Amino acid sequence: MTEAAEHEEYDVVIAGAGVNGALIAKHLTHAGFRVLVLEAGPGSAWSLDGYSRHLDHFYAAASKGPESPWPPAVAAPQPDTADIRSGAGYFVQSGPDKYGSSYTRAQGGSTLHWLGVCLRMLPEDFELRSRFGVGHDWPLRYGDLEPYYGRAEHEIGVAADVADQAHHGIEFPDGYDYPMRRIPLSFSDQVLADTIDGMRVTLEGESIALQVRSYPAGRNSVPRGAYQPVGAVDADVDRHDMITHLGERCAGNTSCTPICPIEAKYNAGKTLAQADRGKLRVLAQAVVSKVSVDPVSGMVDGIEYQRYADPASPRHTVHTARGRAYVLAAHAVENAKILLASGLGGDHSLIGKGLIDHPALYAWGLSPVPVGAYRGPLSTAGIEDLRAGAFRARHAAFRFDIGNDGWRATTGGPDSSVVDAVTKQGLHGTKLRAHLAATLPRHVRFSLAVEQLRSEANAVTIDPRHVDAMGNPRPVISYHIDDYTTGGMAAAAEVARQVFRQAGIEDCTDPEAGGWFPSVRRDGEVFRYHGMGHFGGTHVMGHRAGESVVDTHQRSWEHRNLYVVGSGSFPTMGTSNPTLTMAALALRTAEHMTEALAARQPIRQGEPSGF
Amino acid sequence: MENRIDRFVRLSALLTGFAQLHLLGTGMAETYLRAADAALPEGVLDELLAAGSPPSAGSASPGGPALPGTAARPGVSALAGGTDPEAAAGQAILGDAKLGPVARTLILLWYRGAWTALPQEWHSAYGAAPRDVDHVVSAEAYQAGLQWDAAGAHPAGARQQGYGAWASPPAALETESAPGTTAVRLPRQAGAPTVTEGARS
Repeated sequence: MTEAAEHEEYDVVIAGAGVNGALIAKHLTHAGFRVLVLEAGPGSAWSLDGYSRHLDHFYAAASKGPESPWPPAVAAPQPDTADIRSGAGYFVQSGPDKYGSSYTRAQGGSTLHWLGVCLRMLPEDFELRSRFGVGHDWPLRYGDLEPYYGRAEHEIGVAADVADQAHHGIEFPDGYDYPMRRIPLSFSDQVLADTIDGMRVTLEGESIALQVRSYPAGRNSVPRGAYQPVGAVDADVDRHDMITHLGERCAGNTSCTPICPIEAKYNAGKTLAQADRGKLRVLAQAVVSKVSVDPVSGMVDGIEYQRYADPASPRHTVHTARGRAYVLAAHAVENAKILLASGLGGDHSLIGKGLIDHPALYAWGLSPVPVGAYRGPLSTAGIEDLRAGAFRARHAAFRFDIGNDGWRATTGGPDSSVVDAVTKQGLHGTKLRAHLAATLPRHVRFSLAVEQLRSEANAVTIDPRHVDAMGNPRPVISYHIDDYTTGGMAAAAEVARQVFRQAGIEDCTDPEAGGWFPSVRRDGEVFRYHGMGHFGGTHVMGHRAGESVVDTHQRSWEHRNLYVVGSGSFPTMGTSNPTLTMAALALRTAEHMTEALAARQPIRQGEPSGF
Repeated sequence: MENRIDRFVRLSALLTGFAQLHLLGTGMAETYLRAADAALPEGVLDELLAAGSPPSAGSASPGGPALPGTAARPGVSALAGGTDPEAAAGQAILGDAKLGPVARTLILLWYRGAWTALPQEWHSAYGAAPRDVDHVVSAEAYQAGLQWDAAGAHPAGARQQGYGAWASPPAALETESAPGTTAVRLPRQAGAPTVTEGARS
């Protein structure tokens, strides 16, 4: 394979074309730097034709899980939630608990299948140790990240109203508002709000009032001011041509996860399309296998990658890309894997250690009145009130996500309800149809996402016995859900029962009747949980080398021209999904890199300034 | 004499509770007929269609030709006296050890756009065809599933209702009716909140 990229000179080489890599590439190219982006997976989602094929793949898939539209290349395998039960697949789960999340290795990354929630972390989330005596503090405060949150909201294109979001200490600058108006609350949200708003629950003696609240979403709605929503992307990689179809608003496809058919929901391909294409080269199907370090200077002097032509085959050629600086933006797990495979994690290294997620419970029920289930964005509101409070000294905080997708995630509805009506209840004809019409629109689902604290025992490691078809290591995952989190699960499950009672919702939560999920025990109670796809903590950021892998600019302490970016840098994650926060961090990193690169220090001389 | 597709659609209307016009409107009737032919042992579908046909539809022997080990069945109308073809179909077909499971799989096919494999016991008694495995018939079939119409919704990822439609109460179902069926209505939300924020500029 001809490999022009190998002979070209770049300022920055980025591994990973997800949201982090795309944001950094966009800003560095516009600052005038030449950027190479290496993406392990296929780039097919970047063209309309390719994207449509993914959509058809989803339509025809028997199981419509998060991975269904995004089949992996042989050369870039990815975790699949269906593998958790069988124990097969990409992850080697060494227990004791199962890690329940997955991600996508493709150009666009997991934003291809994310829900689109864009919550900011709460100010207290950054100060868990100081305020509650648990977990860790960030080396940054909410105020440090606030300007970048605002910029990230405009990069992603977030729909929300500040008036809904200024709570739990979240502050916005005067005059600020999101680039688009909030997505309308679903009918289901409104029915629930009528009965729930103002009800009080007690956590560790603290009385907290609940409210159904619109959450910010990376989905196109009605723009504010001059903001121009970004629509579907159609890129011709070879010719550098780019068309963006502007103005696509969310049409309520009820499939944000696993695929938005009209790209009204943000994906990282949109950001990459906004880079200065004259300064950017994107190589898909290029698996970064190793970071090469100069043993004298400790600086990275190249990134080795494996290029493959056929996604169905592991046949590949090996190349090296060189730049002045390097960015690993390959995913929390992949970043750690690459560093470990490069032999960069010493005995005392924190690389890979501290893996977190939001283990989440489902609660589902039958509303006394139709709520119009199976319509609208998968979720438009949540109950955010239990994300904060003094109880965090005792157990995990949690967040309710209110589904608009009925029982799809919990039991496999509506299919499972139809099968039940036909085969178990023996219904057919108009009686069948009337039964379904009377029940399906009343399906209610909550996801109760529970915070998890870092523990070094929860780790991504590699083991030469476990490799993929390319000979690259498969991530070996050690994972335990501790009492702090199961305490949050118990509280969350209890609040869900109270909310159902308050709303007159018949509680149908029955893990035996639902899909299979891994379980964890607490005081004899069994909790079935699923992952939220919120990986974090594997290359933690901190004030000092030795206590962390990267500094507050996500710059490696040991290799000063290497940046390791993404939610792997998070010391804690609170209860918000990580995307907006990592986008804010990526913008902060891009700003820092722009200054450092512009200083034009000879790269191999390293510190003190520039590179 | 009715052709095969007509008989298939008429029986399907009795089984699903959706009018023949609605079923034809999905554009899936022929596809489903082919899917059923491919997934069932030879003759079984015709046996089912015969059992679902009234005598006036042209079938001399309402139960169809008796296969080895199968007694001829009275047709739907013969059993019901022509009063409630749907209930009659229930008695004549769904209670039958051989045809019942096939009819239920057809109902699921129409509602889900996916073929549901017949039970192992059925295979042992009546034979198996290679395509009798769980599968989504096609991308189009998934989108045409009646379950979404029954829910007053739309298939996830397709036939979307438009920006902000999710803020409105679910629509009452169409009152179309198959012969002998009664209209199905959803209760309307009295005093449901109306959201118009999406329309504001």
